[in-house]
Amino acid sequence: MTKKLTRMFVCLVGLLILGSAVASAGQYNAVVDIGAPMPEFSDLPATDGSTLSSDDLEEDIVVLVFLANHCPWVKGMDADLVALVDELEGQSVRFVGVSVNHRDDDRLPAMKEHALANGYNFTYVFDESQALGRRLGATTTPEYFVFGKDRRLAYMGLIHNSPASKRRDGTVNYTRGEPTDFYVRDAVAALSAGDEVPVAETRSHGCSVEYQRADG
Amino acid sequence: MIACAGPAADAPPAATGRDAAAVELRPVTVEEWRIELARLEGRIAVVDMWATWCIPCIERFPHMVELFHRYEAEGVTFVSVCLDDPGDEQAVASARRFLEGQRAVFANYLITENTADAFEKLDLLSIPAVFIYAADGELRYRLTADDPNDQFTDSDVEAAISNLLGELPLV
Repeated sequence: MTKKLTRMFVCLVGLLILGSAVASAGQYNAVVDIGAPMPEFSDLPATDGSTLSSDDLEEDIVVLVFLANHCPWVKGMDADLVALVDELEGQSVRFVGVSVNHRDDDRLPAMKEHALANGYNFTYVFDESQALGRRLGATTTPEYFVFGKDRRLAYMGLIHNSPASKRRDGTVNYTRGEPTDFYVRDAVAALSAGDEVPVAETRSHGCSVEYQRADG
Repeated sequence: MIACAGPAADAPPAATGRDAAAVELRPVTVEEWRIELARLEGRIAVVDMWATWCIPCIERFPHMVELFHRYEAEGVTFVSVCLDDPGDEQAVASARRFLEGQRAVFANYLITENTADAFEKLDLLSIPAVFIYAADGELRYRLTADDPNDQFTDSDVEAAISNLLGELPLV
């Protein structure tokens, strides 16, 4: 009887350890849930010629946003992202754009052109390994991940509630009209104030992130 | 892997004659699409969710057309659902030209609701996505790119169709 109980206890502890090691999925994310730690990364090349590692990030709040130059949903939202970075200037917030697609128009040379043409006012890095995207379960561009001072995930999803795309004629179309709910801005404000983030997860919308398969 | 057809959405090969005339892009709401989908019950149905702004969708589409020609005689129905911005006339025209260029002579629908709402109603995170329904109408294969570590391939689509055909009673 004692042996049986001991075996059950060992199994239970084993399951708990396994459970804590495996990231759990969010409502719209197959890999991580709110509270997940920010993955470490090192020496990702940026459009300004520098490299960036997670250890370099000293700000209280870090916003990672997955981008793809070719994507009309990124082009449609570029101005909103740049405006938000401007708005939060002076606060302890660091925005980092991440491109992971391997197609030529999403790689570093094209990223440099895109960043310049669109006035990117944040660090824009290329992660050829795609590890950062995989570990965060990023599937669309643009898709936002906001981390607090503890580097735990506090928000993921859209920048606001009206995803916009750039139409063929160059105009920008907000799918739900003028945005009314600014999720990333609200998450940053809540984290800065030490409050709970009001909306922690939304359904991101945009182009698919194109992951390489191990079998080619 | 299917050959890259990247620019095809803007500059498709010319389609002529009966095939071009047979290609239609029918505007529907999500609710109307669901009614159309329900009508497919009784046959294996392969539904390809795509848009011209989605490069992987454009790259995969020729394979869907190839599968249509291969499996049509076995009673498999192919349908495409376009998620281009219905308010972007140039995008819709481009989608129509692309379908003509691909000689996509199966049923093609264009969702008329705004794209973000359409994704939500269709429970889509991203496209391309291929939904494969068994003859009893049950969604049996939901092939998506929703998990970075589990991306579907053209082979997965073929295997799913083959599996469902294998389940049909011999006649």
